[in-house]
Amino acid sequence: MLHLALRMAAHRITALLAVACAVLGGAALITATGVLAESGLRSQVPPGRLGGADVVVAADQEFHPSGDLPLALPERAAVPARLVDRLAALPGVTAAVGDIGFPAALVDARTGVTPVAEDPGTAGHGWSSTRLLADARVTGRAPSGPHEVAVDAGTGLAVGARVEVVANGRPATPYRVSALVDAPGAGLYFADGTAAALAARDAGGGGPRAGTVDLIGLRTDEGAGDRVAAAVRAAVAGTGLDVHTGAGRGEAVAPGTGSARSLLILLAGSLGGIVLLITGFVVAGALGVTVAGQRRDLALMRAVGATPKQIRRLAAAQSTVVAVIALVPGVAVGYLLAGRFRDLLAGRGVLPPELPLTVSPLPALATLLLVVAAVRLCARCAAWRTSRMPATEAVAESRSEPRTPSRTRTGTGLLLVLGACALSVVPLLSRTVLGASVTSVAGILAAIGLALCGPALVRSAGDAVVRRLRPGTAAPTWLALSNVRAYALRLSGVVSPLAMGVVFVLTYTLTQTTVLAATSEDTRTGTLAQYEVTAPALGGLPDGTLSAVRDVPGVRAAAPAGTTTVVWEYEELGDPAAESAPALILAPDAGGVLDLGVTDGGLERLTGATVAVSGEAARTRGAGLGKRVRLVLGDGARVDARVVAVYDRGLGFGPVVLSRELAAGHTTTGLDQRILVRTDGTPEAGAGLTALAAGRPGLAVAGTARDAAGTDPPPEVWINLAVVVVLLGYLLLSIANKLVAATAQRRTEIAALRLAGTTPRQILAMMRREAAVVAALSLACGLLLSAVPLALLGVGFLGHPWPAGPAWLLPVVATAVTATAYLTIELPTRHALRVPSAEGLRMG
Amino acid sequence: MSTAALTAATARRAPAIALDRVARTYPGGVRALDEVSLTVEHGTFLAVMGPSGSGKSTLMHCAAGLDSPTSGRVRIDGQEISGLNETRRTELRRERVGFVFQAYNLIPSLSVEDNITLPLRLAGRRPDREWLRALTERVGLAGRLAHRPAELSGGQQQRAALVRALAARPAVVFADEPTGALDLRSAHQVLDLLRALVDDLGQTVVMVTHDPAAAARAHRALVMADGRVVEALERPTAPHLAERLVALGER
Repeated sequence: MLHLALRMAAHRITALLAVACAVLGGAALITATGVLAESGLRSQVPPGRLGGADVVVAADQEFHPSGDLPLALPERAAVPARLVDRLAALPGVTAAVGDIGFPAALVDARTGVTPVAEDPGTAGHGWSSTRLLADARVTGRAPSGPHEVAVDAGTGLAVGARVEVVANGRPATPYRVSALVDAPGAGLYFADGTAAALAARDAGGGGPRAGTVDLIGLRTDEGAGDRVAAAVRAAVAGTGLDVHTGAGRGEAVAPGTGSARSLLILLAGSLGGIVLLITGFVVAGALGVTVAGQRRDLALMRAVGATPKQIRRLAAAQSTVVAVIALVPGVAVGYLLAGRFRDLLAGRGVLPPELPLTVSPLPALATLLLVVAAVRLCARCAAWRTSRMPATEAVAESRSEPRTPSRTRTGTGLLLVLGACALSVVPLLSRTVLGASVTSVAGILAAIGLALCGPALVRSAGDAVVRRLRPGTAAPTWLALSNVRAYALRLSGVVSPLAMGVVFVLTYTLTQTTVLAATSEDTRTGTLAQYEVTAPALGGLPDGTLSAVRDVPGVRAAAPAGTTTVVWEYEELGDPAAESAPALILAPDAGGVLDLGVTDGGLERLTGATVAVSGEAARTRGAGLGKRVRLVLGDGARVDARVVAVYDRGLGFGPVVLSRELAAGHTTTGLDQRILVRTDGTPEAGAGLTALAAGRPGLAVAGTARDAAGTDPPPEVWINLAVVVVLLGYLLLSIANKLVAATAQRRTEIAALRLAGTTPRQILAMMRREAAVVAALSLACGLLLSAVPLALLGVGFLGHPWPAGPAWLLPVVATAVTATAYLTIELPTRHALRVPSAEGLRMG
Repeated sequence: MSTAALTAATARRAPAIALDRVARTYPGGVRALDEVSLTVEHGTFLAVMGPSGSGKSTLMHCAAGLDSPTSGRVRIDGQEISGLNETRRTELRRERVGFVFQAYNLIPSLSVEDNITLPLRLAGRRPDREWLRALTERVGLAGRLAHRPAELSGGQQQRAALVRALAARPAVVFADEPTGALDLRSAHQVLDLLRALVDDLGQTVVMVTHDPAAAARAHRALVMADGRVVEALERPTAPHLAERLVALGER
């Protein structure tokens, strides 16, 4: 069978090219998604600062919902300091270091801040942490006492130099450099006691994290690593702490990498569905055209004794050969694509640049299995009708459509379209990013429904038009319309992918822009403050900034605001569910700078263990005013908080707002990240703020107008737009391929028309009119199918039944569709016209 | 093999084709076959004639197992096929039945040799190389096996189709207007070959044609009209058949 399949494939190389392209592109997209998913699950960041530690003990920075993927906890969770001595006593341990990291920066009144570490929020460490560095060269001696510090050799300072350090929000203090540490981005090293005091981690201190360290690094005797790790695991069993060795140590360096990884998983998950839907659609379409082109050959084989099963096996074998050949470059492109995508994410600051992609053969293998299975299934389905055809039909030469489109097919299609319409109501009920994403899925489902019920629709539409045609109509028009009607199946095979393209671009892009518009509308109207004061280079705002800001003349209100992550556990349809969401941290006086659209309760009650929640969350999670909600804070601490306010602008400000007191001690730095400032609007007030910042190195003042106060547009928005471009390219390429193949298969028809006296000019005119019908139908169907979901989305998010988005989108889509339809029909027709007509008949 | 021995051999076997009151009604109520009964013995050459729409093609499709009759029984080489499903019928067909069509129906993407061995391959059988060589030599295609069908003349294509039909040593060969698309000389060659197959190799041949000259080469001719057999002629002659056809056409 394979021999026959190969022979027949070789003869149909142009038709199979469409399948090859579809498989190649699909394989690339699936592989890329697979690489992202695998990296999300398994990627390891390099151990960096902990390269010299053989065993690292740190808290688990993940929340594990039952039966679901873990959710990342990005705030550093502490480890009890007394564990350091216990672990140090284990046999084989040569050194045990309790490592802490806290905000620290070198400042200079003239030159500002000298960067010393990638994250200034954790740049400060105790001297003993240098023992965790992998072969660091130290010049000088250990800092001792409260006024000595060791700095990264990269700063260009010399031993003995005088520097000013802002540590953990304290005012700039003079230090003497006692040593240089030659490790890139190592940070600042204080005497151990000084470090603990600065970070408020010393056992005697009163801070919320007193008596704790961030992690414990152990150095062991040569070759004793595994033994020690086992002993440490036994020692910490039951405490919930994790023990890392080897490549796993990177996990403990920065808790944020976990959330970057879960972003990758989330991304791969949301991409996966769309990619599989579109790949399946494209591959099935290409195979449909290819098998239709071989219909006569296959029917002849039936006549000379092939069973229906053998016909299907032949079609499957043939497409499998093509698919496997196309898979090889496709998978390779997929790995490259994933790399590009990671660069894009890292470039936008969504991923930490040091997080590498995991490159293993697993995604390739999964792609191979998925694509081959899909191709075989699609080929068998495409050959189904031909294979079931009575053998006599092959003998009675027939070029018309196989039969009328089956009722089941039309029915299923209509049901899908109706189902998609029902689905697009979701954004009305759930005003969230997740709710909005249903819009594009509904659009694509509707397009698939169209592909199924299209033939019946096209036929009845064609019937209606031809019946009304006046007798005097030009021959090409009449021919074109008759073709439309008679070859409804073929035509809708061309119209539906184009309509799918229109639907996909419109719903996917406009969903993103609509959500973006609604979000920024929310944050813009909700942000009363005109300015925000930050200190990213210091790792957080120094103490006293708030009161200094309030003292600036013209300032009406100033309030701190932070951002963290919480995991909200709630019941969904009786099942426990957990969702990780960004959360604002606000003080009771936030009402002066932010208007969250509070409908119930008030922000001034945000003291103690209290939260404010969005109306959306309050409704769906039973968290109305006065109710208690169970949250897991960013460092994994479980808290029980009372709802004291319910607000409207959940889209812009997130589902939950924590009180400052609730979040205290549960964030990595503990410092305020931002101060939102509302002034009287005079230029003097702005100038006053700028002058304040100029006087304090590290402080930055920015307007809130551009980058609105709440949350930035979620990175998914930008990512999704990038995905639209890639998928659209794939879709257009495969549509073009399919159209070329479909037109090329009409050679016999064109030859017969010429023999019957149709001039080449008339044939071109006829084909152009068909192209016009194709483009018009595709656009109309695409618009119609996207209209309902997009109108509902507009109503849900913007309050008017149309989406927000760039005005040029529709004309560009229309031009692209028309150009594709025209070019891919015109060129093969011209090619067919160059062949003498008698030859054309024979080739059929 | 002598004629006596042949007769003795066929006497023990069931007839090559046996139709018992076979009817075929198409959707829409067109009755293409009206309870036709017919027996074709092994080693005989039968011609089926009739004007267009007389049901001769339907008769052949039903007798060959390409189509299922609406009622009645069809046996090929003693094997009942009326109740079989499409797959079983196909399998039976490729073992016991060979076809020659007016349009040759060679698969354009396969070489002549691949076309000839196709039914055997589909049946999962090894081609009998000796037999195929003898056949291709006999029909004069020995040097053209590697060619594509499009590179052969019509007569050559039809002879290739004949070899394909015989490759599996079928119980009966059905020929549907085998000379309809050929020039006079090629048509003669093909008819000579068919007759020789019957006379020399004891092959059974059923040929549907509207050409009285072609039908005159058969042992027996049936004349059909309106789905029924209106006349059966032993040792038919072309003038007589032509006369009958003209008469039927004028009704």
